[in-house]
Amino acid sequence: MLQCIFLLSDSGEVMLEKQLTGHRVDRSICDWFWEHAISQGDSFKLLPVVASPTHYLFQIVREGITFLACTQVEMPPLMGIEFLCRVADVLSDYLGGLNEDLIKDNFVIVYQLLDEMIDNGFPLTTEPNILREMIAPPNIVSKVLSVVTGNSSNMSNTLPGATASCVPWRTTDLKHSNNEVYVDLVEEMDAIINRDGVLVKCEIFGEVQVNSHLSGLPDLTLSFANPSILNDVSFHPCVRFRPWESHQILSFVPPDGQFKLMSYRVKKLKSTPIYVKPQLTSDAGTCRLNVLVGIRNDPGKTIDSIAVQFQLPPCILSADLTSNHGTVNILANKTCSWSIGRIPKDKAPSMTGTLVLETGLERLNVFPTFQVDFRIMGVALSGLQIDKLDLKNLPTRPYKGFRALTRAGEYEVRSQF
Amino acid sequence: MIRHLQMQSPEADTLPPQTAKPSLFPVFDPSIPISKPRTKTLIQSHRKMFPQFGATAETLSKASTMVFRIGTDAHLYDDPEDVSIAPLLDSKFDSEKCEALKRLLALIAQGFDVANFFPQVVKNVASQSLEVKKLVYLYLLQYAEKRPNEALLSINYFQKDLGDTNPLVRAWALRAMAGIRLHVIAPLVLVAVGKCARDPSVYVRKCAANALPKLYDLRLEENTSTLEEIVGILLNDHSPVVVGAAAAAFVSVCPNNLSLIGKKYRKLCEILPDMEEWGQIALIGILLRYVIARHGLVKESIMFSSHCAESYNSDNDDSDINLALKEDTGDMGSGIYRSEIANMVSRCYIEGPDEYLSRSSYTNGDSSKLDSAYFTSGKSNDDVKILLQCTSPLLWSHNSAVVLAAAAVHWIMAPMEDVKRIVKPLLFVMRSSNASKYVVLCNIQVFAKAMPSLFAPHFEDFFTCFSDSYPIKALKLEILSSIATDSSISFIFQEFQDYIKDPDRRFAADTVAAIGLCAQRLPKVANTCLEGLLGLTRQESTTSDFGSVDGEASVLIQAVMSIKAIIKQDPPSHEKVIIQLVRSLDSIKVPTARAVIIWMVGEYNSIGHIFPKMLTTVLQYLARCFTSEALETKLQIVNTSAKVLLCAKGEDLWTFKRVLSYVLELAKCDLNYDVRDRARILKQLLSCHLGSQGVEEETNRLPEKKDLTHVLAECILRGRTKPTSPEPINYRFYLPGSLSQIVFHAAPGYEPLPKPCSLLCDDLGQCSYVVQGIKVPGEGTTSSDSYETDDPDTLSGSLNERSTSGSSPQHSLTGSNGSGASDDSGSANGGDDNTASLIQFSDVGNTYIKQNGASQSGSDDLEKLMSKRALESWLDDHPGLSDLNISEQIQDRNSSARISIGDISGRVKPKSYTLLDPANGNGLKVDYSFSSEISSISSQLICLEVSFENCFTEPMTKVVLVDEESNKGLDSAGQTLVTTESSLTSHNDVPTLVSMEEITSLEPGQTTKRILHCSFPSPSLAFEAGFMV
Repeated sequence: MLQCIFLLSDSGEVMLEKQLTGHRVDRSICDWFWEHAISQGDSFKLLPVVASPTHYLFQIVREGITFLACTQVEMPPLMGIEFLCRVADVLSDYLGGLNEDLIKDNFVIVYQLLDEMIDNGFPLTTEPNILREMIAPPNIVSKVLSVVTGNSSNMSNTLPGATASCVPWRTTDLKHSNNEVYVDLVEEMDAIINRDGVLVKCEIFGEVQVNSHLSGLPDLTLSFANPSILNDVSFHPCVRFRPWESHQILSFVPPDGQFKLMSYRVKKLKSTPIYVKPQLTSDAGTCRLNVLVGIRNDPGKTIDSIAVQFQLPPCILSADLTSNHGTVNILANKTCSWSIGRIPKDKAPSMTGTLVLETGLERLNVFPTFQVDFRIMGVALSGLQIDKLDLKNLPTRPYKGFRALTRAGEYEVRSQF
Repeated sequence: MIRHLQMQSPEADTLPPQTAKPSLFPVFDPSIPISKPRTKTLIQSHRKMFPQFGATAETLSKASTMVFRIGTDAHLYDDPEDVSIAPLLDSKFDSEKCEALKRLLALIAQGFDVANFFPQVVKNVASQSLEVKKLVYLYLLQYAEKRPNEALLSINYFQKDLGDTNPLVRAWALRAMAGIRLHVIAPLVLVAVGKCARDPSVYVRKCAANALPKLYDLRLEENTSTLEEIVGILLNDHSPVVVGAAAAAFVSVCPNNLSLIGKKYRKLCEILPDMEEWGQIALIGILLRYVIARHGLVKESIMFSSHCAESYNSDNDDSDINLALKEDTGDMGSGIYRSEIANMVSRCYIEGPDEYLSRSSYTNGDSSKLDSAYFTSGKSNDDVKILLQCTSPLLWSHNSAVVLAAAAVHWIMAPMEDVKRIVKPLLFVMRSSNASKYVVLCNIQVFAKAMPSLFAPHFEDFFTCFSDSYPIKALKLEILSSIATDSSISFIFQEFQDYIKDPDRRFAADTVAAIGLCAQRLPKVANTCLEGLLGLTRQESTTSDFGSVDGEASVLIQAVMSIKAIIKQDPPSHEKVIIQLVRSLDSIKVPTARAVIIWMVGEYNSIGHIFPKMLTTVLQYLARCFTSEALETKLQIVNTSAKVLLCAKGEDLWTFKRVLSYVLELAKCDLNYDVRDRARILKQLLSCHLGSQGVEEETNRLPEKKDLTHVLAECILRGRTKPTSPEPINYRFYLPGSLSQIVFHAAPGYEPLPKPCSLLCDDLGQCSYVVQGIKVPGEGTTSSDSYETDDPDTLSGSLNERSTSGSSPQHSLTGSNGSGASDDSGSANGGDDNTASLIQFSDVGNTYIKQNGASQSGSDDLEKLMSKRALESWLDDHPGLSDLNISEQIQDRNSSARISIGDISGRVKPKSYTLLDPANGNGLKVDYSFSSEISSISSQLICLEVSFENCFTEPMTKVVLVDEESNKGLDSAGQTLVTTESSLTSHNDVPTLVSMEEITSLEPGQTTKRILHCSFPSPSLAFEAGFMV
């Protein structure tokens, strides 16, 4: 049972507090929290469960905003964390992003949402579709209207029908003039290439994202051509378990709008679309860095927005890096980023340069890890294929659209020496 | 709008000169004061984002923010008090009221106390506008407790709203009314909740379920049964949404009233997948507890196989399970050790680690085996099968908390071969939900320790990646080192080699420690590990000279420590490693690492053939650098030279003596007192060795005449450290998915699993609790009482309460009447001091007294009436007892069911001990019951009928029971075998006990009764019994 929720800005200021039960929590707990966060650095900031002298704290950080929840009694910690994630999702959906100003500017909506999402420390309504009907998100029209008329009510006067239905994620009487549904496969490639250049791990974490604008109460069935390649899956609550268990078919009544139908993982892939070869040789107080990037396996579509990023080890005093393609930036926190974009046809992009080591240090003894970023439109690298999407219970023939996208996830290359 | 724009203007003044460009909005009115400089921070943040654009960007971004902020409540947050709020509240326009309320809300958000507006705000509760209503509710709930009288004014409106046709209005009214938390209106709220629980709207019923914990939080005992009744009604609801909320209410209102689940069990299981995710989490836990209380644990599960494996070998059914277990864990070469952990895990789940660990420290193993009656077969029991069936699709949930809760059910209840079903979903959660990663890993760590085979094939999932934070990396390393097998270790080591080069040196040091752990678990790779680690020490010793690289030293130290740990397992075969380390001593500069190596020299000085020959050189080298060493190294040098001397034989002896005398002389003049003291002690101890040659010959000739100091020296310096089990096994395990498991101590309100089979279903289908009294006295009550002791009254506050020891006095904290229960029936122990506890204090049980008390007494009716009333009024203070539905059969065997051995400090965690050893039955047995007689001494006193029985083989004399306070000195008499304190109640009077007449002698088997007059209520009335044998 959560007792209180605080929203902290990136400078540690308490922007909002919402007491949830009769056991009030003084906001001095935030001072304690922030002091520790500063004194103990990153490992504390990233610790999701903290035992303070008086309370147990759950924290998540989203775009600089710290969501802090307090409790004094035993409860599943993941429930607290998941709830905070849900709050962050809903807020960023409502406000079109998350930052200090957005939250302060819309603090009434934040309060209204929080009050609807949690009651006495237990989640009440977290389904975004119902929330949208209860509390209208701020949009340009309502903003202008409120300026003009001076009336700014965004509260609905009636209870959304979905609260009573057996499909609580969907409003009952929806009408769209254009019935359409889009299915996107969004995949992230995780890979580890070790210091010997060996591909240690390569897998795809993917999501099936659906954007549905369908009237009535449609019943959808989505099937894959090769479901056996899926290693792990998890589903949106709307997916029925039985058909998946027996035939690996996704049968569901979709929520309205954009939602994540399913996430999956495909493991043990054999190759990556691009190669990144970082080479470091150090001698006599300096270190030569050479990074080569190129296409290993052409996925058939253009590979876009390729970027390589790495953190200079602390023992490096200065770095001088140049590239034959793209731009190289060295930020104040010793992060180097090399944005390449597309790989040109005529040459292989490379970045070279020298790093000056700390005085007295002959050779580099620690080696940075390079994070690689890319995106490929139109391809699902896992090879997962959608077989067909059947729609039942619809008055008109809807438009169906499919897309795919792969981008780099936790794709890292350890430097060789 | 205008005001909004004006806000920007003064900020131009605050800007540095070079940025003071003309604003796009040159509306300027200096008369408006700016109370808070938020716009400044805004500018700063933009400046951070676009440093290169400078001033123009600032004006631009200012402009864009202006546009975006139109129509928001920004101005209200920035300047909530720039207009007078009070008149707005009284305005007749809803929009003005709204604005005023929003201003108040802004002040609340910023931490100001605006309770003084309460009366004006409350008036607006009558508003028809839903927006005004909602804002009023938000305000009201914040301050209602502070202003109870004014809050009462709003009740009528709530009552009216409860009859509204709009379900949203009804729901809000109920939520606000229940949230006000005033004892006065509790009866009204209770009626409202009861009504709303039958409301046609699902949403209102759900809010009714949510209101129950709020009411329960007020601790009005007379409402408890009604609350439980409503929980029952809502659990029966046909809407999954309501059932989910009801499950959450069940957890906070009556978590132990599992009989409420009884008939609905199947239905609840079926409805589980359709519920909202939050309700699922609560219901999964309830169903798990119910099945364990009703049917016991599963014979094929890890809970069984771990601790009954040995005792059931004869049984055919079980032998194949045992084989499976051995296959699972045996290949690690430490199967017994593993099952020991699994055993500990399962015991901790049932008893709570604090009870388990404290008990296992002095009962030796035997009683820790669970009775086979507690187990059921997962294959034949339908309820267990249904539970597993309905929770397995939840492993696909997108909510990580649901996945973990479902996984916990399978971990505890599923047959061993099916447990692996939880592995992939858990690993997937790690990737799909970043925020949950840490908590999931903490739980996986426990699973992997208890059953390494589960995760062994998935070692790749625990390879760290760049984005992992340090705590996650450390957890992954630990898991990797506990699941490594002979087949996967080469991949893991390859990965580890990369980690050692990581710029984060703390992580690199942890990796080195993990290598050491792997080598200890898998002796086959020990040599490879040693080579690698030696190489590392050589490499690190060259780089660690630089003071600037802090982390280097820690890697080197960890490497040497790991080597030491590996050598410890089998010293003779690693002689060469020791030699190599000693050789590199000159290049290793880090004091801690040097100290460890020098320690090894002393420890393994007689191992192998080559090493002893090197000793003279090594010792001479050490003696030479003694003066330049750090403190810890100096101490080790002194120790080592002494150790070597003791083991030495033959021609080296003389050199060693010289070295030691030299070192001791140096040490005696050292600056550090530790070193000086150590030198003096050793000099005294080894005086016979350091003396003339003659002494040595003498001791050789006449070994029986060895000096005492010599023996002592041998003991101290030559005591070999024994190879220990690779990891210390005093972990605390809490239920998977619990908060306690993450913070490593029992959080308030943590409850272990219920006692298996404690919920009996008789033929009528009515369920009742049975206190499992005879077998393990006291345990039955422990499970039911632990909740009472973790009474939320006591939660609100003190820090030490949550400390790991979990024992702190609660008296000062308990505000209302809930506290007494634990004192009587919650059996706390004072037993740490008395290892052979002999006194048994049995409570006959209050129900028993209520029913049978009348027949016991022969006094007249009036007296009986009076005393019963007195008794009942006292009993009313102890809800925990009246909740306990003790069935008839147990009342008959009232002899030993409940024991209260109290020690105030132990009360947070009630512990129970068998004080009368059931095996030999020795001791003094004391039973007490409340007699209905009125005390002859004073009408204020209550009679306690105490019966003493001598279970000893010898007669006892001088048995006396006295007030604890008045007889502190009894212990010192030396003849008191046991002091038993039974704290009975806690109130605010002075304890009164009219002392009992002494029983002069008690023959074996003899029983004597005494009447004790004492006053109730009294604070911590404790007795001490003293007797002589």
